[in-house]
Amino acid sequence: MEKNIIKSQNTGDSCIHVKHKSGLDIYICEMPGFSSVEALFGTKYGSINTMFKMRDDKEYTVVPEGIAHFLEHKLFENEDCDVFELYAKTGASGNAFTSFDKTCYLFSCSKNYQESLKILLDFVQKPYFTQETVDKEQGIIGQEIKMTNDNPDWRVFFNMLRCMYHTHPVKIDIAGTVESIAQIDADLLYKCYYTFYNLNNMVLSIAGNIKADEVLAICDEYLKPCEDKGLETVFPDEPDEIVMPEFFETQPVGTPIFQIGYKCRNCSGEERLRKSMAASIASSMLTDASSDMYKKLLDEGIINSSFGSEIFDGDGYFTVIFGGESKEPAKIRDAITAEINRMLKEGLNEKDFQRIKKSTYGMLVRELNNVEAVANLLINSHMDGVGPYDSLSVLSELTSNDVINFMRDELIPERLVMSVVEGEAD
Amino acid sequence: MPMKYKRTKLAGNVGFSTIIDEKFKTGSLLIRFITKLDSSTASVNALAMSVLTCSSSKYTTLAKLNEKLSELYGASLSSFARKRGDVQILGVTASWINDRYAFDGENVTGEMLDIIKDCVFAPNVVNGEFDADSYRITQNELLDRIDAELNNKRGYALSRASEIAFKGEPAENSCYGTKEAVEKLTSKDAYEAYLKLLETAQIEIHYVASEENNTIAELLSDYFSKIKRAPQDIVFRTPSPVRSEVVTESDQFDVRQCKMVMNFKTDSDDRYAVKLFSTIFGETPVSKLFMNVREKMSLCYYCACRSMAPKAALTVDIGVERENIEKAKAEILRQLDEMKNGNISDEELESALLTLDNAITQVGDTPESYSSWYFERFCCGDEMLPEQLFTEYKNVTKERIIQAANTVKLDSIYLMLDKEAE
Repeated sequence: MEKNIIKSQNTGDSCIHVKHKSGLDIYICEMPGFSSVEALFGTKYGSINTMFKMRDDKEYTVVPEGIAHFLEHKLFENEDCDVFELYAKTGASGNAFTSFDKTCYLFSCSKNYQESLKILLDFVQKPYFTQETVDKEQGIIGQEIKMTNDNPDWRVFFNMLRCMYHTHPVKIDIAGTVESIAQIDADLLYKCYYTFYNLNNMVLSIAGNIKADEVLAICDEYLKPCEDKGLETVFPDEPDEIVMPEFFETQPVGTPIFQIGYKCRNCSGEERLRKSMAASIASSMLTDASSDMYKKLLDEGIINSSFGSEIFDGDGYFTVIFGGESKEPAKIRDAITAEINRMLKEGLNEKDFQRIKKSTYGMLVRELNNVEAVANLLINSHMDGVGPYDSLSVLSELTSNDVINFMRDELIPERLVMSVVEGEAD
Repeated sequence: MPMKYKRTKLAGNVGFSTIIDEKFKTGSLLIRFITKLDSSTASVNALAMSVLTCSSSKYTTLAKLNEKLSELYGASLSSFARKRGDVQILGVTASWINDRYAFDGENVTGEMLDIIKDCVFAPNVVNGEFDADSYRITQNELLDRIDAELNNKRGYALSRASEIAFKGEPAENSCYGTKEAVEKLTSKDAYEAYLKLLETAQIEIHYVASEENNTIAELLSDYFSKIKRAPQDIVFRTPSPVRSEVVTESDQFDVRQCKMVMNFKTDSDDRYAVKLFSTIFGETPVSKLFMNVREKMSLCYYCACRSMAPKAALTVDIGVERENIEKAKAEILRQLDEMKNGNISDEELESALLTLDNAITQVGDTPESYSSWYFERFCCGDEMLPEQLFTEYKNVTKERIIQAANTVKLDSIYLMLDKEAE
C-alpha cells in the first residue's frame, strides 16, 4: 500500500492518505504535541439516501425515512453487549452521528487509542439486529424526534428546506418520523447495512497523538476486504424553482428566529468547493458587521449579533442561508435582496473583498489547530470529493469576479425563501 | 518542547498566567473579572462587560472594530458572563492566528494586544458614560439573550431548576440578571459598574500562545498600577443546604416532550468521591442512568447527571413523555439507592476512572482547556497538575463512593409540562 503524503502549500500542514487493499480510504494526521486522538469511521450514507440499487439489481429499493439514523443507533449493539461497554474498558468517549449524506462512528481519547481503534473497526463491520432490539429502539428514537421537534432552530431549518425542495430527500428529517421508523425491521436494516457499509463506500480518518504505522497495522488486521458492488444512489428530479416563498410556525420561543435561504443549482467535487467558497465570501460580505446594511439593520433593532450566514450543500442540493433572531425578518429579506442588487450594479469593493478573504483564511488556519476539527476535515473533504487542504488553495485563487458571478448566477430573488418560528404573541 | 506555565502577580494584585505551548497556531488572551453574584449587580456587570468589546476609544463603532478584526485574519474578540456557584465570572476573550501565518508578515499579535488594551483600559467613554450607540446595541443584545433562553428547552429547564434549588442564595440568579433590571439601566450605570469592577473584582489574566511575549506583563501592570485596587474576598465554595421537604414546581408550554430536572444536594466534603459517584451514576453512556432509564426501559433519549461542586449539588435531567415522568423518577431514585447500598461493580469504578483519566489527559489540547484548567485551580485554591488530580480520583475507594452516595439527598424537582394532556 502506498502512503500518499498530502501537504498544504499555504500552511505547511500535512497528512497521509492510503487506499487500503480492503477498499477503504484512510486519512491519518500525526499531530505532535497534542495528547488526544480523534477517529471517525464513516460511510457515505445519510438521510437523503432513500433510493438505491447495486450494479446487479434490476430495481431501485426505496426505504423508510430515518432508516440511516436508525441503523446508526442499532449498530451500537453487538451480539453480546453494547459498544459503549467496550469503550468503557479503554476510557474512550465513543459516539456516532447521522447527517444528510453520511453516518460516522467516532471516538476521542488520550490513552489506549490502539485498543479503541480496534473496537471501532470491529463493531462497525459486525452488524447484529433482532426484531426485539429494533422494537426497543423505537421508544428511544421516538423521544429523540420529539426533542428535536421542540428545538426551534431545527424546525426553522427544515421548514426552510421544505419551502425550497419539491422532491429531494434533503427536506425530510434526519431521524424520520415516529410513523416512518415504525416501518423499520431487522431485515431492512441488514439490507441497508450491506448496501452502504461496504468499505469501498467508507472512510477512516484519525488525527492527533498517533503513529501512522500503528494505525495501518491495526487496519491490516481488522479490515475485511470488500468487493465493490457498484452502489448507485438516485434522487428524484428536482426543479430549479422553489415550493413556496415563506412559512411560519408557532412555538414557545422567547425571541422569534428566521432563516432566509437561496436555492442554488447543485454541483459536485471541485466545482462544488469553488462554488461553496465563492458563496461563503458572498454571504460573509452580506453579513459583514462593518457593512452599511448591517449597521442600518442593527441601528433599527432588526438584527442582533446572532445574524449570520452559512452554506449548506451536498449531493443534489446547494443553499445559501442567512439566519438569526428578529421580530421583523421580512425587512432583513428585503435588505439582503437590495444589497445584492447594489453589489451587482456597483461591483464588489476590492478592499472589503480582500479583508473578508483574509478573515476566511484565518478561520481555516484555526481549524488546523484542533485535533477534532482536523479529523472531521479529513473525512468531510474526502466525502465531498476534494483534498483536505483544497479549501485553502481554492480560497487563495478566488477573485472578486468569481464572487460577483456567483451572486449574479445563483442569488436569484425568485429562488429565495423565508422560514420563521415565532411565539404566539409575536 | 513541553508546555511552560508561569503565574505572576501584577500591580493591584492581578493574577497573570502565561501558558506557552509551541504547537498552537493561535494566540489568545483571556481576562476574567471575578465578583460576587448578586441580584442588584448581575445585569449591570454583564452589560458593562459586553459594551467593552462593542467598540473602543480608537475603534469607536462596532463596524470599525469589526472591520479591524477581520483585517487581522478574522481575529475574535468577545465578552462573556458566567455563573460559578455564588460567583459571577465576567470577562473579555480574544484569539488570533500566529504572525507566521500572516501573508505579509503583519504583527497580528501586537495589534490584537493593542485592541484588547484599548477595550479594557481606554473604552469608548463620553462624558463619564459609555458611548450611547455602543450601549444601546449591547443593551438590546442582552435583552434578546435573556428572552432567547426559552428557545433552548433543555437549557431553560436547567436554569429554572437552578432558581428553585438555590432559592434565597446568590446562585438563584442568572449570570445576566433579569430583563426588568436590564431595561432600567443606563449607560452611566454600566460605566460606573465597570469602574467598580476594575477596582474591586478579583482579576485573573491568561495568555496562551506559542511564544513568550516579554512586553505584555509590564504593559498590563502599568495600567493596573494606576487603578486604586481593593479586590473583594470571594468564597468559591458555598454548599447549598438541603430542604427538609422536596419541593416540586412546574410550568406548562406548548411542547412535544416534557422535561424533568431533579436537584440533589450533598454535605460531603469528599469532592473526589462525589465526582466519581456522579460519573458512575449518570455522566457516561455506561452509567447507571443511561443503561437503565434509557437502554433498558427506553424511556428517554437523554438522562444525565452533572455535579456542581461549588454548590455541593447534583442535577439529573431527562426529556420524557408526561405519562412516564413518575416511572422515570422512580427509576432514577432506585438507581441512587443502588449506589447507596453499595451496588457498584469493579467494572463501573474502573470505567469511571478511565473516563476521567482520558478527560484530564486532554487538558492542553486547546488554548481554552489550558485556561479552564488553571482557572479552576485558582478557584479551588490549589496548584494541582492534571496527573495529581487523577491520582486523587484513583485513590478513592468504593467505600468512599458509597459514603458520598449516602449523603446525596433529593432537594427539589422542576417539570416542564406539555399542554396537550391537560
